[in-house]
Amino acid sequence: MKMSGGYRQQPGGAGKVTRKDGKRVAGKQAFPPPGSGGSNPTMAPRDLDFIPEMVGGKEAQPAGAHVHDRARTGTSVGKPTALVDSNAKVTGQAWYGDDVRLANEVIGKILRSPHHYAKIKSIDTSKVEALPGVLAVATGADSPHQFGVLPVTKDEHAMAVEKVRHVGDLVACVAAVDEATAMEALNLFEVEYEVLEPVFDPKKGLEDADEPIHWRGKYHLARTNVQKRVFQEFGDRSLVETPLASSHGKWNMAGVHHGFTEPHAVVAHWDPNGRLQLYTPQQVPHYTHRALATVLDVPMHQINVIRTFVGGGFGGKSDPFPHEMCAAILARKSGRPVRITFDREEVYWINRGRHPSHIEVKMTADEEARISGFDIDALIDGGGFASFGHVTSYYNGVLATAPYELGSFHYTGARVWTNKPASGAMRGHGAVNTRCAVEVGLDEMSEQMKVDPIDLRLANLLPPHSRTISGFRITSNGMREALEKVREGSDWDSKFRQMPLGKGIGIGCGFFISGSGLPIHWDPNRFPHATVHMQVDMDGGVTVHTGAADIGQGSTTAVAQVVSEVLALPLEMIHVRSHESDTSPVDLGSYSSRVTFMNANAAIRAALEIREQLLNAAWEILGYHPNNLVLNDRRIYYKHDPAIGVSYLKALHKAQEDKGALIASGAYRSPPMGGVHKGAAAGLAPAYSFSAYVAEVDVDVETGMIKCTNVWAAHDCGKALNPLAVKGQIIGSCHMGLGQVLSEKMVYGRTGHLQNPNLLEYKIPSVHEMPHVEPIIIESCDPEGPFGAKEAGEGPLLPILPAVVNAVYDAIGIRLRDLPLTPDVVFKGIEKGMKAAGVDDPLDLTSPRVEHGALQPLLVKRAAEHKVRDRARQRSEDTDPYVNGVLFGFDPNLPLEDQVEGWRTATEPDPEQLAELGLAGKAWLKKEQRHMGGDE
Amino acid sequence: MPPFTLHHPTTVDEACELAAKLMAAGEGFDWVAGGTDLVPNYKWHINTKPHVISLAKIQGTDTISSNELGCMVRLADLTEENGVHSVVVQAASKVASSLVRTNATLGGNLCLDTRCFWYNQGEDWRRSIDWCHKADCGTGADCRVIPNQNTLCVATYQGDIAPTLMVLGASVHLIGPNGARTIPIDSFYQLDGMKKNVLEEGEFLLKITLPEDANKRIGSYQKLRVRDSWDFPEAGVAASWIEGDPTSLVVATTALESIPRTHPEEVASVLEAGWDGNASVKALSTAVQKSVKPVNNTALPPRYRRSMVRVLTKRAVQGLLE
Repeated sequence: MKMSGGYRQQPGGAGKVTRKDGKRVAGKQAFPPPGSGGSNPTMAPRDLDFIPEMVGGKEAQPAGAHVHDRARTGTSVGKPTALVDSNAKVTGQAWYGDDVRLANEVIGKILRSPHHYAKIKSIDTSKVEALPGVLAVATGADSPHQFGVLPVTKDEHAMAVEKVRHVGDLVACVAAVDEATAMEALNLFEVEYEVLEPVFDPKKGLEDADEPIHWRGKYHLARTNVQKRVFQEFGDRSLVETPLASSHGKWNMAGVHHGFTEPHAVVAHWDPNGRLQLYTPQQVPHYTHRALATVLDVPMHQINVIRTFVGGGFGGKSDPFPHEMCAAILARKSGRPVRITFDREEVYWINRGRHPSHIEVKMTADEEARISGFDIDALIDGGGFASFGHVTSYYNGVLATAPYELGSFHYTGARVWTNKPASGAMRGHGAVNTRCAVEVGLDEMSEQMKVDPIDLRLANLLPPHSRTISGFRITSNGMREALEKVREGSDWDSKFRQMPLGKGIGIGCGFFISGSGLPIHWDPNRFPHATVHMQVDMDGGVTVHTGAADIGQGSTTAVAQVVSEVLALPLEMIHVRSHESDTSPVDLGSYSSRVTFMNANAAIRAALEIREQLLNAAWEILGYHPNNLVLNDRRIYYKHDPAIGVSYLKALHKAQEDKGALIASGAYRSPPMGGVHKGAAAGLAPAYSFSAYVAEVDVDVETGMIKCTNVWAAHDCGKALNPLAVKGQIIGSCHMGLGQVLSEKMVYGRTGHLQNPNLLEYKIPSVHEMPHVEPIIIESCDPEGPFGAKEAGEGPLLPILPAVVNAVYDAIGIRLRDLPLTPDVVFKGIEKGMKAAGVDDPLDLTSPRVEHGALQPLLVKRAAEHKVRDRARQRSEDTDPYVNGVLFGFDPNLPLEDQVEGWRTATEPDPEQLAELGLAGKAWLKKEQRHMGGDE
Repeated sequence: MPPFTLHHPTTVDEACELAAKLMAAGEGFDWVAGGTDLVPNYKWHINTKPHVISLAKIQGTDTISSNELGCMVRLADLTEENGVHSVVVQAASKVASSLVRTNATLGGNLCLDTRCFWYNQGEDWRRSIDWCHKADCGTGADCRVIPNQNTLCVATYQGDIAPTLMVLGASVHLIGPNGARTIPIDSFYQLDGMKKNVLEEGEFLLKITLPEDANKRIGSYQKLRVRDSWDFPEAGVAASWIEGDPTSLVVATTALESIPRTHPEEVASVLEAGWDGNASVKALSTAVQKSVKPVNNTALPPRYRRSMVRVLTKRAVQGLLE
């Protein structure tokens, strides 16, 4: 039906009526009243390119329909959109932690431990207090309460109580009139330490120590420094006993840091009513809020956490921090606002970077090139505190149970404390390192089986709407399409194993959670993961209140977009207020890639409520039922005749009669899911993202220098609400992952000190190191995602590591398993390769070649069959259950224990297994204190 | 920043007088040109002085021509368009980053403070390792690289431009309260991580000059570093020769010791046997590699840097084979 355009927004405006003497026409204003329609006076035609075909538009839906299709208006979703806060950022007006300047502020500084590990015998602050200009001093005695981001491991204090656990650990703090005085004051503390024997090597952490770094009471493992041990076994391990092919790799991955531009900063101010106003660049303002209440002994309703703009987080700002506690304590003591700003070195002391890891991956394939087993062991170095480490120790294993269908799965993990800055969650979390090892293992097995590694993957993928071996519920799944697109885009088939020495191409895949299915706090019961409030007043602008923490990823924009979409209003009419806990309903925070999925879903629910009120009001005015009304560009009209309609504002005012401002609330909670074994919750998510990258590299075989030249990066984000943002995240993740694989490393030297706590020596790739990245968006349309969307913030990082490592093998024929692949590491490998090949000039090495064997056509055939299977399942044409194991002939309708002899699900090793466990598995040789007949 | 007084003399004489006055009063001072080396160290309270004398306002310190370069010439201005020798341009264009190069100067790069990861750290960090020989805060601390001694500092010289001026036969012109002197750049450096060069107290480097035959020379500077921006050299080799004449070959290295230096003995030993193209290049590369002993105080391990000297030398003299 042809749309006749030109419908004017009402009310207001004199129209074309004018007076000859120039005076105003009686009873009419010369201009429309404020809010009557935004900057464009006439209604735009429906943008059918952005309305799904199943509801009358032209947007193709290869992945099928979505429950939110009816809410699409073609206003915003799917359109490349500049982030709504970008003007503030590029003009330098965005207010970050250090930009907050309250009247009468004083400067706080932290006294840090010069020792790796020591008991604090005494702290004499008398000289500090005597220094003119010092207003407050605090030590660990000022707050004995413990906190930590995970309720299960609250092992931090505002400042050290009893002992310091790494160089840089907080000992005391001081607030003074200016920075110079505060720094001078730091030199006047007299601290008596009793130095203890530090532990630096995580392998040592598995052994008994005189003084374990933390003490877990009856749960403590003997006298070790093991914080957490994990064992997970699913399946029949006898399947792996006679494999056709196998890969065994032992990896060392150095710790890396997020390297965000903005150092931590915090301003604390107890307002005249005695409430704490805390300004902080936080990813998790809600968890900070809880922790502050505990540490300061103040109810949550007396604290307002104000999240400033965040200059990058990536997991490095996703903990409640001791320096935030210090600022609050100093502010309370001094009666003045206190500002603490970190220098770059302090950013390394607080760390929370990726755990240095020792990962061992064994895998096997059977005679049909099915993956019969993954056997993973991961020992991770936690540093001085727990942070998110408890979760990391699970993610290092459980997130390897997809995207491939496995015959069996075995994982042992352990996280140990060492006297180093604490490791935590960093973009991609524990999944990153294991994923790299797994993807390289698959490359090795492909080589043995003489098959193409992409075809090996395509023939072994779990389909959409399936369950992994660990009980995770997979819904939408774009892995196949991602692999196909990067294969095509990179011209893989004419390059792989065919390029000259020094040039290589490699594949790597990724699988990541889109929000953690279970919240980390159990109280209050059944509390939503995200709540969004919305209000519309008489000016027509929509104010959205959400706790979603925009950390640069564009969550504010995503929320604004989905509201703009549902209500058919331009983005400029949506105002998102997300900075203060006083006015924002709780959102759990920006971590585990949950915000788009959970918060945008809550926002849609709230917007749908407002929409309903608007349509009901329009019904009253026009006489047509809401099912026959269309929302488009600030106007509501009868779908069979657009001339019959009413402006958004008029319908709004009708809805507001006797009521005033409209209010709506939307909440989101993940549906119940998952298995019941111990640790089953770790890794559960309402949806997962899938990615496949192909990387091309040039390796200078004489120097070992690697240059990554091109990356084809396909990421399944369900639906790109904002393709510009998704592409930005893909490219940015590529950069961050590339850093870990090529040059970034937290270097611990001979004395145990972190040698490079600065941005010159911690080598983040410059623009010169960046390859050309071709971001490819895959849309598998997740049934539960907001308009089908899933995450795109962390998942895109995973594949670049294995893609580059595999490409290097393709280029020089050397398997490297030490990250980062700095030139000296590569060169060492080349020297080994030269020796093995009997050449004395690296230019005489040969790069690998492949001649496909009999399994290759079998894989291609199976992949083709699975492609048909997957398409039907994606489009909900086939809704039969599918669990990991069907590929091996198991019945998805029966419990696997009942139909497969030898199938077992275990979260503890059998005594017979203890002897053969890997490095982290050794943690299972120790007993908990309560089982040792005595505890402390 | 620690407190210090910044002085801005506008003539060379004024600068020398000021230096003499401060020396007589027993007041320590540092010279500063672009500040890109001094300021970061001062922020970290590394061996700071109560006075800093800036050369930035002194007249006539920024001459650029094919045979004279003033100490205040900004690295970004060392271009072929400005008549600078191509080998020098090659090195200068690789120093740090484009932003740093707009401030950094030739004089500053030549007089770069030697570096070491035990030394180039903040004050708290260095306190936690109990200081080090080069910045001992009066404690007599040992060196952390060559432990258990506090007589020799082995901090590494990581300037890129010095070896290129060395292979072109440049001279440095020094000036101070006791007058002016000109010495070959080969003699300017002193093998000691703390003394670094022969500048006497109160002296500064005013300019460099190049001999006439520098223009006849062609060559190359090869730099080893992790990233193509920001990073100091982990090893650097410069070579120059008169086109078609291997006997004129000069080779210099940097970032492998506390000084940059030429390798006349290694070159001579190869030329002695008669130039034999590839074989000579190979022999030379091996000889230069054997002559250096880098220590573990930079980003990449010394064994690797040493191995790479062979590759860098080979690549630096590649043009001789064409």
